[in-house]
This record gives sequence, structure tokens and C-alpha cells, in this order.
Amino acid sequence: MLKRIALSLTLAGIASAAIAAEKPTKASSTDWWSLKPLVRPAVPATANRRLPIANPVDAFICAKLAEKNLQPSPEAEPRVQIRRLYFDLLGLPPTPDEVEAFVRECSLSHSPTFPPAPARAGEQVRKRESVTPAYARLVDKLLASPHYGERWARHWLDVVHYGDTHGYDKDKPRPNAWPYRDYVIRAFNEDRPYARFIQEQVAGDILFPGTRDGVEALGFIAAGPWDFIGHAEVPETKIDGKIARHLDRDDMVANTMQTFNSLTVGCAQCHDHKFDPIPQRDYYRLHAVFAALDRADKKYFADAKLTQRFAELEHQQRTLTAKRTALETKLKTAAGKELESLDQQIEAASKAKGGLRPEYGYHSAISPAQEAAKWVQVDLGRSVVIDRVVLRPCYDDFNKIGAGFGFPVRFKVEAGDDAQLKSGVMSIADKTAADVTNPGTAPQTFKSTGATARFLRITATKLAPRQNDFIFALAELQVFDTTGSNVALKAAVTAPDSIEAAPRWRKTNLTDDIAPGADNSGELVELRAKRDALLAKATDDKTRAELAALAKDLEQVAAELKTFPKPDVVYAGTVHYGTGAFVGTGPAGGKPRVIQVLHRGDVKQPKDEVAAGAPGYLTGLPGEFALPAGHSEGERRAALAKWLSSPDNPLTWRSLVNRVWQYHFGRGLVETPNDFGRMGALPTHPELLDWLAVEFRDSGGSLKKLHKLIVTSATYRQASVAADVRRLTSQSAIGSRQSAIEQSLLTSAATLDSENRLLWRQNRRKLDAEAVRDATLFVAGKLDPKMGGPAFQDFIVEKPEHSPHYEYHLHDPDDPKSHRRSVYRFLVRSQTQPFMTTLDCADPSMQVGKRNESVSALQALALLNNGLMVTMSKHFAAKLDAGGGDLNAKVDRAFREALARAPSAEEKANLTAYARQHGLANACRVLFNLNEFAFVD
Amino acid sequence: MLARGAGAASANPLSPKPAPAPARARAVIQIFCPGGLSHVDSWDWKPELAKRSGQPFDPTGKLQFFASKPGNCQGSYWPFRQHGRCGRWMSDLFPRLAACVDDVAFIHSMQSKSALHGPAMFMANSGFILPGFPSMGAWVTYGLGSESENLPAFVVLPDPRGLPPGGVINWGAGFLPAVHQGTTLNTDPEQPPIADLFPPKNFAGLTPQGEASGRNFLQTLNRQHAAARVGNTELDARIAAYELAARLQLSAPEVTDLRGETDATQRLYDLADEDTGPFGRQCLLARRLVERGVRFVQIYCGAENTTARKIRPNWDSHEDLVRDHGYWGRVLDTGAAALLHDLNARGLLDSTLVICTTEFGRQPGAQGKGRDHNPGAFTAWLAGGGIRGGTAYGTTDELGFQAAEHPAYSYDLHATALHQLGVDHERLSFYHNGVQRRLTDVHGHVIKEILT
Repeated sequence: MLKRIALSLTLAGIASAAIAAEKPTKASSTDWWSLKPLVRPAVPATANRRLPIANPVDAFICAKLAEKNLQPSPEAEPRVQIRRLYFDLLGLPPTPDEVEAFVRECSLSHSPTFPPAPARAGEQVRKRESVTPAYARLVDKLLASPHYGERWARHWLDVVHYGDTHGYDKDKPRPNAWPYRDYVIRAFNEDRPYARFIQEQVAGDILFPGTRDGVEALGFIAAGPWDFIGHAEVPETKIDGKIARHLDRDDMVANTMQTFNSLTVGCAQCHDHKFDPIPQRDYYRLHAVFAALDRADKKYFADAKLTQRFAELEHQQRTLTAKRTALETKLKTAAGKELESLDQQIEAASKAKGGLRPEYGYHSAISPAQEAAKWVQVDLGRSVVIDRVVLRPCYDDFNKIGAGFGFPVRFKVEAGDDAQLKSGVMSIADKTAADVTNPGTAPQTFKSTGATARFLRITATKLAPRQNDFIFALAELQVFDTTGSNVALKAAVTAPDSIEAAPRWRKTNLTDDIAPGADNSGELVELRAKRDALLAKATDDKTRAELAALAKDLEQVAAELKTFPKPDVVYAGTVHYGTGAFVGTGPAGGKPRVIQVLHRGDVKQPKDEVAAGAPGYLTGLPGEFALPAGHSEGERRAALAKWLSSPDNPLTWRSLVNRVWQYHFGRGLVETPNDFGRMGALPTHPELLDWLAVEFRDSGGSLKKLHKLIVTSATYRQASVAADVRRLTSQSAIGSRQSAIEQSLLTSAATLDSENRLLWRQNRRKLDAEAVRDATLFVAGKLDPKMGGPAFQDFIVEKPEHSPHYEYHLHDPDDPKSHRRSVYRFLVRSQTQPFMTTLDCADPSMQVGKRNESVSALQALALLNNGLMVTMSKHFAAKLDAGGGDLNAKVDRAFREALARAPSAEEKANLTAYARQHGLANACRVLFNLNEFAFVD
Repeated sequence: MLARGAGAASANPLSPKPAPAPARARAVIQIFCPGGLSHVDSWDWKPELAKRSGQPFDPTGKLQFFASKPGNCQGSYWPFRQHGRCGRWMSDLFPRLAACVDDVAFIHSMQSKSALHGPAMFMANSGFILPGFPSMGAWVTYGLGSESENLPAFVVLPDPRGLPPGGVINWGAGFLPAVHQGTTLNTDPEQPPIADLFPPKNFAGLTPQGEASGRNFLQTLNRQHAAARVGNTELDARIAAYELAARLQLSAPEVTDLRGETDATQRLYDLADEDTGPFGRQCLLARRLVERGVRFVQIYCGAENTTARKIRPNWDSHEDLVRDHGYWGRVLDTGAAALLHDLNARGLLDSTLVICTTEFGRQPGAQGKGRDHNPGAFTAWLAGGGIRGGTAYGTTDELGFQAAEHPAYSYDLHATALHQLGVDHERLSFYHNGVQRRLTDVHGHVIKEILT
């Protein structure tokens, strides 16, 4: 039985030979294939002119096959090729028109060599082996499609374990994670050189200052899960806080090294790596690279200087506010029970009286300074003899202010016939000399001494405090003439600024006859006056001076902040300026935390301090950074980024070409894409791997060139189906001796290399979760191609305030907002989407270099019955109905849409009969559940 | 994971695999009490703590708990008494379970590596304080498969109030194939027991006959497709999966239909009670699942952490331990005791390992009327499946603050459970990202002292 378990391991696709190395021998040795410098291997020469050599990839593959006396399979049919290419490069199926056009072009350019002749005529064979113009055009077209970036970004997001929530207990959303996801899509679509792609993600802010990509790419560092409680509720001084931060850095280190170098440095956390040359010290040197960072929202501008200044100002604002709150708390304590009771009375008296209408009133722009003048004015239409003016204050619960919201502390009321109020100004009230106690909602009446005027203006000279800023707001302005009628009703209102946020706040609300229920008791005024007096008594001169100074500083900070445009935000690895338990290193100047080697990985047993550095496992590329004393944290990351992206780092280039190969063939040349160490698998084609790595590196690190090289190879274009091979060969050369030989070779291939490690055929691949979902939406005619921006949510959030419940079953699968490509799905870590998870979607809690491909009854149920699948079956049917024709014609189109081929006569008859009996939607549901839909040949 | 071209003996990754060593248990029912169940008020008798009640717990003033400074010593809120033939002490919080004490073995010296709910939950379930590792249930089905072809191998019955801290990844498959993740069984009798078991009611008005004919038609097409692509076991496996799905459609509703249970059984599990009924239902379902060959059942007694105005939705009793443990104690006591009785009466207890655990304990020093988190000590207990009842392993110090004798971690609990299933925890492994991973990491000892 132990063998049984071991067997299931082998089944999981692991090179058992590599795992057999149980006892590490010379673990620290750098004598290991993946660490050796890259040297471009010679392309094997092929004597056999019959072999399909489209490019050097095929030469390497055929050379290995020849060693085993094996032969490659013939080229797949055009229909198979186009469907394969679409799913591989775009993650979407081709439309029937695209399929037919491609098949037609192929038959024109290919004929008469397709199906391929295995024959004697070398010329014919050569034709077949070169890439047809139609195929090359198709590859170029797909690589230029924006959907390419969406497809390949999703692979990358698996590797870096990107998610839209923090994970752990309380799993809070990360509403600003998506700019990183969009950056990755953009980088793939723009074919960003790989070295730069690395540099941007590790140190874009330092190496490419002033670029949007340089900041958004830093989402890489923050992509993984984050223990909210361990950071936000437990400070770094506590053991649990230390553990949380240590593990947080461990994730950054592991993510960086596994993604870019395919090595598992995390094993050196407690002791020197058992298998690979990674001493414990090297691991902690990597910690030191990220030691100043936390995961947090990073506000940024295109100009890096602005970004930094903005962060400093925001921090100052938080610090000053905290100081002021502390002083105020001290005062409140000094004022004791009396204040407490007064506050309770004020709160009760401040409650809105009567029903509150949504049309609050006029609201000025927000001012960072209190001593700013703001005015609002009405035009009575004609000169009127004014008997009295009534100001009705606002009510708004914002910041617990309530009654009297925005009522100015000092103000004046003036009238005149000049709209500019420059000449002939009459004063009706002047309250600019001393502070006025807030009246609550009590109307404030000012008698006029017979002023006659057309315009009436209220000017606030000292604004009402709000939070860290100041405003002027008024619910209603009434002007009564001598007959007692309000001549300001519906009068035109002008003001130099107004926030105009209808329905609550707009200028016209000032004369709409709507004001909060008036409290005329004067109680609130009295209570507030008492409170002011009480506090004044409790305040000594020193505190008063301190408070005044703080207010002034806060005003200054707010004023400068106001000069900034609205910043963009990305959740990224950043120097954090925080408060409470989650302080970050920003307040102390962004200096990296001290990193010490932890004995047995235990935060309670710190040993020697270490400097930042890269691992020392490359003989040609030292890991020492040699940074000057007093260097900034960013220089550490920049040094690591350069080390990782160096042409002399062989792991970097081998790692990437292997990942790309894996996504094209279903298995990498190294079967363990995240582990090129001694626990990982050995390369099946080491020369090809190195040749590709050198070719990729030396051609500017272009992924699109790499794709093209691979997908235009004859190796990639092979048929995947043994039966196909048989049919093709028998059709083309019935009875020929050659065919018999091929047949026997084929049989031996299936025996000698049943797992197809040597690639004598293409692998049949199961569509991944995203491709299933996207293809279903696409075929149903419902896929919304909108790119980028915040993620769509296919769940409803309940109880968001503490531990959000992400309720997928409450989501309406017919909601068009959720009909976007799966790469834009909001990825919840604690509650992964059940449908996608069942289909082996990557778990964003861990780095997924290669997804599992399982088959289960629950998958079958999900594809049969999930709300999305049945909804899309209905839409697919509706689309077919809209296309017209009889049921036969619809069924024919359904096959072409879903499977990129026409049905056989028998299939058509059967599905038509089924649709007649059970409805077209059910017939569509059957198509979505076919193996032929779920697999790519 | 299905073999690709490896000539897989079986297309079903969940087909039963014989245990590598003689097994004492063939199934596991694990009751998980999230939030942190207080050992000093329940299983772990600390007379010295009672004696020192009201005296400072930490006279040095140096200790810091997770969310508070330690208050005074606080003895158990419930009196302790000796029970059963073994004479083990238990508090009055669990009067019914106290009657089962001769079947139960306690591990008093459990510890966790984290005082935070999320990481501690992950550790208790997967052996790692990081998210993303396979849970014990996933490991067990990976190693042993399922005895039931018609039901999932690993079934989870969450608390109807919500998910525990950390969410569904507490029963995730991590890097193991998705087929090994826990399948959530809806305990609401009004809902289909498994998500997507049937199409939505508003779809196409299909009859069961229509569904069957659709499936037959689908399979015919799939078989034709596979016939042209010989030698591909993945295609065959997917065809087999649709057959399994059809069986699941019959067997899952049968499991959750409790009408066949006698009145006595329904009373035993207290199904009619508004507070204890839902958990009783979870426990009864667990018994029915195990009866039908399900390998691993996990029951949650409590949901997420929230400071609720009334009773907290799990055991995380910071503010009012008497209120919250009082409520949850009655819930756990009723359901778990019923489950032990019922399994015993049906002769299932011998072959079913029952485990009751939590992610950490609570502090002997008070936090107002509640208690703070204590990763230094907690109690887990086991019963059935070759466990020697009436025993205890490990101790805490005189106050219940730290494990004293034989400190144990989830590694040891997991190693012991796997051992009872006939699996050596050091041999059950899976390669992932450079490491041959185990449920027990590089740790774990089978606690032989509590085995028969």
C-alpha cells in the first residue's frame, strides 16, 4: 500500500527519479544543471530529410526521438490547429467563420500536400514542413489580439498568487489590487522585454521613476495573502506580530525567487537548504531586501516626487490629528462628568426634529483653512424693501455634527443693487468680530432697517469645522418683504463654489423652502455655549497654545494636500505610513527593519544581523550588493531586480522559457516549473531548454517571439490523436510499406513513451476553468469584451463590516456585469468560487506553477447544473433561434460554434431529435458538457 | 490526479485504496469548535486556578495576551466533578458528554503556533499556519480514497450560521487535486444537499426521465468521441465522472432525508430544539454519511468571529464567557454525546474515529468577564476507532497556562489519526514546489499512550 501512495505520486505527474534522491549528497554544491551558465547548444543536424524540421525546436525534439527510434506524428488537421491556437494564445474558441476561412486558406496554400505524404518525394515533404502563410498569419493575428494579454496574464497571476482579498480570518477585500492585474495584461500585450518586466515588478518605482507601470507593477510584491489581524491588530512588538511580519516577508521572498528563479528558498528558513546550495544566511539576506516594506494601498502620481511628498503630508496629517485628539481627550477628562452629561444633552438636542428631507441645502467647496471667505447670494429679481432676513441652518450626521451642520462661525449679511456688491452695500448683520455659537437648527433672524435691494449675500469669514477641513453650508435663505412674504423663494442663487451633489447639496436647495424641522427652543445654543465655557475653563494657556499651533499646522498640511490632483491607488509592496498596530516603516523614515538570522526560524531566537543580498548559488553572478552605507531601501530592491534580470542569471531565462513551453504543451521541459533544484524534475530536453533560454534572452526577451517560435514548430503542430495518425497515414499511403513501418513506430511510441515525454505527438489538454467559463460565455454570445478596471463580483457580500460573507449562490448568473472574461473576476481567498474551484482553478493562497487537472463527479454536476451553465445554454439557444432557419440548421450552427466543426449526419439527426423533444436549450447544455468541448486535441 | 497515459488501473481517483498498515478505523468524524474552546472551563481540571481566583495572574506585569493584559486568575465558571469508571474530571458545562467519558481519551497538552484565529485554524486543519495547504480530510482521501462510490469521500458540515475563520480553505485540497477538497453538504433541509446537484428549478422544466435521456445522449456522443481517440484515459475518466454524478444525484438526497430516522433518534439528537437542533442535525448526518462509506466528515460547531451584541457566533468568548460558552456548551454537549451514543449503539464507534478539537485554548487569567486566546494550551479529545477510553495524555501547568508534560501539536493529533487509519504520516506525501509535503510537515509522533 505504501507503494500505492507512492504510485499516486507518480501519477500526479512527478519525475519519480528526481524524488528518489532522498539523501542529499553535497547539498551545498552548486554543481547542478540549472545553476550552470547558459551556453547556446549547437542545433542537432538531421540526416533524415523526411523529418519535419520547421525550426530548431524540431531539430532538438527529433534528435531525442531518433535516439529511441521514434518519429513525430503528422501535422494536425487545420480545424484542430486553429482551435488549439485560439485556446492556447487567447483562451477563447474561434468563431465558425474564422475556422472556415482558415481551413479554406490552408487548403489553398497546402494542397496537395495535406494530408501529408510520408513519401519518397523530398520536395513535397519540405513543403509540408514549412509553416504555411495562412498559419503564420493566424499566429501573428492572435499574438496581436488584446485577448492574448488576458490569457497569458492569467497564467502569470497563478504563479504570483494574485488575489482580490487578504485571506486569513476576516478576509477583507482589496479594492485596489486590480491595477497590478491590468499592468500584467498590458505588459503581455505590449510584449514588455522580460528583463524589464522583472525589474518593474521588484523595483519599478526606483528603476523607472515617473512611470505608471513602475508603480503598478509593485502589486507583485503584495500579490499574496496578508494576515490582517496579525498586522492591523497586533503590533510588531508582540510575538504574534513578529511572526506575522516574518511570514509576510517570507511570502515576498518566496514569491520573488520561485517566480523568477524557480527555486524554493523558503526551505532555508529554519536551516540551510537540505538539497540546494542555499544557506540560511542567504535566505535572510533576501528578507533584508524587503525589510522596509508592507502590503498596503499606495497612492501615487506619475511624478515620483509628488508621490513621496503626498505620503509625507498624509502622514503628518494623521500624526497631528492624533496629537490633537489626545489633547482633546485630556481636556474632556479634565472637564469630567459635567462635560459627559452636557454632551449627552447636546446629542439629544441635535437629533433631527421632524422628518428630514433629502434636499439639505447649499454646501460650499471644502476648504483646508478655516479663515477663508465663502459666500452665497440670491437675486430677488427686483429691488425689494427688506423687512428681515432668516437663515435656516442645515442638519447632517456627517462626523456626528447633526444640527447646525456647516453654519459659519463668523459671517455677515449684506444687501445691495449691484450684483457684485461693490457699491451701495448695506449691512444687515455683521457677526465677523467674534465667534458665534452654533445655533443648531434654530432659524437666525436679522431685522433690516429698511434696506431696499435686489441682491442679498451671506459671507462666511470663519468657516464651520467638519473633519480636518472647513465648510459653509446653509439649508434655506428667506428674505421677507414688508408684507411678510418670502421674496427669496425660488430666487436664483449664485456662489463662487458649491459641491453640487444632488439631491442633498446644490445651490437651488437654498431657496427651495426645504429646511430641517426648526428647533426654536434655543436649548442647543445654550448647551453649546455652556460646553464651550466649560472646556475653556479646563484649558490652560499651554494647552490652548498647543491646540492653536496644531490647528495651524493642520491647516497648512491640508492646504498643501489640496494642491495635489486626485492620486491613483494600487495595492502594492510599499513603505507604509500607518497608525495604531500597523505603523509600517514610513513614520520612521522608511528605514528597513533590522533582519537577523532566526535560529530554527524562531522569531524568539534572533542571531546575527544580515545585510541585503541575493543568494550566492551562481558562480558567475555574485549575490553581494555592495551598497554604500546609508543606502535607501529602494536601492536594495533595485539591486535584486538587476541580479534577477541579469543575462548572467541562467535560472531566470531557463525558468521563463520552461513556463511558456508548459502552457503550450501541458508539461514543461522541466516538469516542476517552480523548482529547478534537486527536489525538482530533471529536464527532458536540456539542450533545447538552454537553446530556447539563450535565444529568448539574446533576442531581447520578447515573449511574442518565443511563442511564435514554439507554435510554428512542427512539434507543436502535430496531431495529438493516435487514431488521427493512423487515419492520416492510411489515407495517404494505403498499402505502402512506409505506412506499415510508421504504424509499427507508432505502436512502439505508445509503448516506449506512453506519457509522451519526448513529444512524438501533441498532448490533448483539458480546458482550464477560465477557458471553460469564457468559452461558454463566448459561444452563448454573452461575453462582454470590456478590458481592465475593477473586478466584477459574482457573489453578494453579506455582513461586510466584520467578516464579509461572500455569497456566490445569491448572485444572478444572468447579470451582464459578470459576463466579462474570467481574468477580471474578483478573487476571494477564503471563499474561492465553488464552480471555478471544482474545475481546478488556481487557489490564490498559494503559488501555482502548474494546475492540477482532475476529473470528478462534482465537475460533471457543476457543468450540468451550475446556474451559469444553464443560463448560458438558454442564451446559446436564443442566439441560434435569432439566427433563423429550421432546427436542423440551428443544430448545425450549434456544432460549429461550440466545437469548430460541422456535425456528422448522424450527430445532426440525433441532436435535432433531442432538441425537438427537450428543447434547444437542453441540446446546447449537452454540447457544453461534451468531452469534445472540454478538451483541445 | 488522473494518470495521463500511464495505464491507470482505475479512472476514479477516489476509488478505495487498502490501508498500508492494519487500520483500527475506517472513517473519521471530526468536530471542530472554532473560536477557541476554553479548556480550563471544560475538560482540564485546574484546582489551583480555582484556589487563586481573584489573585493576579501575572504579578510581573510583563505578559501580553493577544488582545489584552492578563487580569486576575479566574477559576472555571463551571464546577468540575469526577465521572465514569475512569473517574476523570469534567466540568458541568458538558453533563451529557461527561457520561461518555469512559469512551474518550483527552490530550490536555495541545499547543498552537499562533494566537490568531486564521493561522491557528489553518494549523489545526492542515498543519501549517499559512493558508493553502491541504486539510486532513483531503490528505486522508488522497491516501485512502472513498468506500462509497456514490458519495463524496470528504464531506463538511459547516455551522448553519456561517463559515469558520479562514473560510472554505479550512477544508481545501491545497495543492492536492481539487477532487480531494471537502464537499460542503447543505444542512438546511429545504435546500439541495450539494451545490449544483440538480439544475435550477426554473430551467427548461426537465423531468427526471428527460435528465436521464440527456445524460445517455451525452454519454453516447462522448463515447463516440473517445473511440476515435483511443488510449486516452482522461476522456474515459470524464465519461465515468458523469456516471458517478448520476449516482450522487440519487444518494445525496437519500442521506439528508431524515424522515426514516426513528423518533427516538430524532429526540436523541434534539432535532426539534431551536438552539441545539441544527448541530444535532449535523451530527446525525455525520453518522449517516459514515454508515454509507464516507471516509472523512468534518462538523463545525460555530461560525466566524464577530463581536455580536448577543451571543457570539462561535466559541471566541472575550466579553462574556458564561454567556457564550454556556450557549455553545449546550450545543456541543447535546450533539456530540448523541453522536457517541448512536455510533456505539450501532456498532460503528469501533471503526469510526471521533475527534473533537479547537484551534487554541483560552487564558486562565481573566479578560473582564471573558478570556483571551491561549495558544499555549488546549485540550482535544478522541473516541472510538481504536482509542483507549477513559485516558488522558499530557498535562498543563497548575493554572492551565502552558502545556507542561508531553507538549503536543496538531502534528501529533494528525499523526495519531492517520495511524488509526493505517497510514504512516511520514509516508503520506505529495511533491509541491520543491518540497515533499506532509500533513505533519517534518514533525509528528503517534500518541501510542491513548491507543488500545
